[in-house]
Amino acid sequence: MSGAGRDLEIDRLRRARPRDRFVRRSLFAFGALLVGAWLVGGFDLGDAFSEQRLRNVDRFLGEIRPYPLQGEAWDHGVFLEWARGLWVEKGALAVGRTLGIAVLAIVLAALLALPFSLAAARTVATPEPYVPSGRPPTRWNRWAWRGLVGVTRTGLVFLRALPEYVWAYLALAILGPTAWPAVLALALHNTGILGRLYAETVENVPTGVPAALRGLGAGRTQVAAAALGPALLPRLLLFFFYRWETCVREATVLGMLGVVSLGYHIADARVRGRHDEFVFLVLLGAAIVLAGDLVSTWARGLVRRAS
Amino acid sequence: MTAPELPRRPPAVGVRGLTLLLLLVAGALSYEGLGLTAAGLWPNEGGLAVAREFFGRALTPAWTSEARFVPPGTPPLLLDALGAAGRTVLYAAAAMSLALVIGVVLGFLASSSWWTLGERRGIGRTVTGALWFVARAVIAAMRSIHELLWAVLLLAAMGLSDLAALVAIALPYGGTLAKIFSELIDEAPRDAGEALRGAGAPALSVFTFALVPRAAPDMIAYTFYRFECALRSSAVLGFFGFPTLGLELRQSFRSTNYGEVWTYLYVLIALVIVFDWWSGRLRRRLVTT
Amino acid sequence: MTGASFGLEGVSVRFDAFPALSDVDLRIDAGEAVALVGPSGSGKTTLLRLLNGTVRPSAGAVRVDGERLDEVSRRRLRDIRSRLGFVPQDLALVPNLRVVQNVLSGRLGRWSFLGAARALLAPPRALVREVHALLDRVGVAEKLYQRTDRLSGGQRQRVAVARALFQEPSGLLADEPVSSVDPARARDTVRLLTELSSERRITLVMSLHNLELARAAFPRLVGLRRGRVVFDAPSDDVPAGAFEALYDLTTEELLGDGA
Ligand SMILES: Nc1ncnc2c1ncn2[C@@H]1O[C@H](COP(=O)(O)OP(=O)(O)O)[C@@H](O)[C@H]1O
Ligand SMILES: [Mg+2]
Repeated sequence: MSGAGRDLEIDRLRRARPRDRFVRRSLFAFGALLVGAWLVGGFDLGDAFSEQRLRNVDRFLGEIRPYPLQGEAWDHGVFLEWARGLWVEKGALAVGRTLGIAVLAIVLAALLALPFSLAAARTVATPEPYVPSGRPPTRWNRWAWRGLVGVTRTGLVFLRALPEYVWAYLALAILGPTAWPAVLALALHNTGILGRLYAETVENVPTGVPAALRGLGAGRTQVAAAALGPALLPRLLLFFFYRWETCVREATVLGMLGVVSLGYHIADARVRGRHDEFVFLVLLGAAIVLAGDLVSTWARGLVRRAS
Repeated sequence: MTAPELPRRPPAVGVRGLTLLLLLVAGALSYEGLGLTAAGLWPNEGGLAVAREFFGRALTPAWTSEARFVPPGTPPLLLDALGAAGRTVLYAAAAMSLALVIGVVLGFLASSSWWTLGERRGIGRTVTGALWFVARAVIAAMRSIHELLWAVLLLAAMGLSDLAALVAIALPYGGTLAKIFSELIDEAPRDAGEALRGAGAPALSVFTFALVPRAAPDMIAYTFYRFECALRSSAVLGFFGFPTLGLELRQSFRSTNYGEVWTYLYVLIALVIVFDWWSGRLRRRLVTT
Repeated sequence: MTGASFGLEGVSVRFDAFPALSDVDLRIDAGEAVALVGPSGSGKTTLLRLLNGTVRPSAGAVRVDGERLDEVSRRRLRDIRSRLGFVPQDLALVPNLRVVQNVLSGRLGRWSFLGAARALLAPPRALVREVHALLDRVGVAEKLYQRTDRLSGGQRQRVAVARALFQEPSGLLADEPVSSVDPARARDTVRLLTELSSERRITLVMSLHNLELARAAFPRLVGLRRGRVVFDAPSDDVPAGAFEALYDLTTEELLGDGA
């Protein structure tokens, strides 16, 4: 092949190369969005390093020194006493409540998500799950099931589209300052997420076993219990722990709205201008998030190995 | 002679069953520990009134401002809401671009493929090992503090500034991206990478041109998913005084203009759904093809 | 340029306690074409990987062009490797890159990081021409800009060969490159490789299971069994019975395999 002929051939192949327009355009649009945000955002970054700001930062750094030690020489004993005081007075209870909120919320979310996920899974929520059965379903029957799937999916999207913080804000105004607003907020948002994940998992179960059971005359609930359950359990648990991790994260901040958990004390310390307590409690929050991550990773490993 | 050993009977409740049981118990204990009652789920008089009024407007969101005094020339509410939505997107996008830089740099440093690919020994190995450890620690620190706590911290340190909002989102998101990126790279099949090492390619080239491309579709899909989360975080930052949807939402709720609240809620939901659809479609295209 | 020469001197390889190769002596001269035959688990892959230094011998010495691989610097080893093309059994291509990029990556060993970035992301015309000519030679020129995972098994195999050839190697090591294609394709690929080897004076070492093909296409055969060289002779001198004996494993050996 001559050099020119080869070049023509290469150009032809290049023009004919398969391209995914959607992916390319999406990447381009996303890149443009990330860069463009800086151009049209008009963020006031210039004054971020102004004299005034730097003085603020300087003062803040002075104030995060434990209160009894401000203006004093460092003393381990005093520091430990200060830390222990904070822990006994506020930290311990707040940590317990924060974890409690996260646990209760994710358990509720998982329980709520189960029925929703079945109603949202097209393989189950249909007039004839897995195998044709008896008289063909009427058109009305088909539409009813399709409607159920549609309504459930819309509901799940609605639940997860709103952030936990917004849910908690609304719930707090209605229910008052118990732990319920925080629990409900986390539970609702995570029902939306787990419901979707679970529904996808249900739809991806290989049809063999459920179809065979249906063939033996098992009903919808029997199939769910006997065929889907065992196939799903490991994945459901994996998602459960993964979402619990984020629940712990979120639970630390929901208190800022006024529910007694870690966030409440953080907001309170901030309002009182006690930046030493404030930073201590933030770090405490970080510690329980890290601990939650570890527990979750460990538990997921356990589940994975058991299956 | 001993009798042949029978296969051991499996325990009646397996590890997973036990886990399930434990979780339910943990839930019940939490319920007790938090001092919750079922009655607490029902609002009192005042709460009930709020609930009635609030949910009463669910199907009739406001089209114009409901404030008692509306200065002439005020733009229609929907325009207002769209403006706030736009700012929500801008904050999320700017923060995400920072997070992406953090995620790529730290993610590559925190990937353990670095020295399993290279045959480093001695000082080189110590240096890469130290870098890896530091990267991991930094990632853990950034991730473990929630973006709202970062926001409050930064606000306390420097006062209200856009930079505070952007950095507050960028730090935890950057850490999360870095963690997931490094995991994706480490879990990608390494056959091609090892073959190229066998052809004399240096570790950095192999890492960048054989391992990263393999993980790239998943990395892109995950970045899109995180952007959807960043939108929610950006909206919530409004509650702390930044001009995103959360700010408008809180103001309207405080002035009990519930129709407006619903308008903002629906705009936020629409925003999230649009990006959810976009990232879902992109993921399917990227990961199944 | 002349082909690479290889030498194994009393080489043994153990994985943990398991002897994958025991006391192997082998000389392969520049420009030779040698077929390695032997049942699965007999040590063919291990032997090939010894030759480019991706497996370390537990005892003995491996020489490439007279240099002992365990005595050269790391830098030098990379240079040696960049002149040895390897077509692994599993091909080891990056599935979601285009064919042209997979072939280009054969030369990563000779490019700096930035040079590699430029060559892979925006390859100069001259390189693309080279790649196209190679793909033409192995018969998949049409696939230049296709995604690699869209190719059939046989086509991918040719891409892997092209990647190895793009290194401009003086030695080509191919590990069962024809085990997963139909007999006609297998014959073509083996012919292609032996032709290329004599055309470009590339030393070729290939492992395969197809005995007739090995005998027909290669002047020299090396038989491996349980990590030992059983025969090493010109193809015509290997008696038909030797193959039978090579592949006729006892049950005991089968069970021991891969242990
Ligand atoms: N990395 C390894 N770790 C442990 N055992 C190995 C390893 N690689 C190869 N082996 C063992 O060495 C023996 C020879 O393997 P191999 O060279 O792959 O044989 P062949 O390519 O002829 O099938 C086999 O029994 C195999 O199980
Ligand atoms: Mg092999």
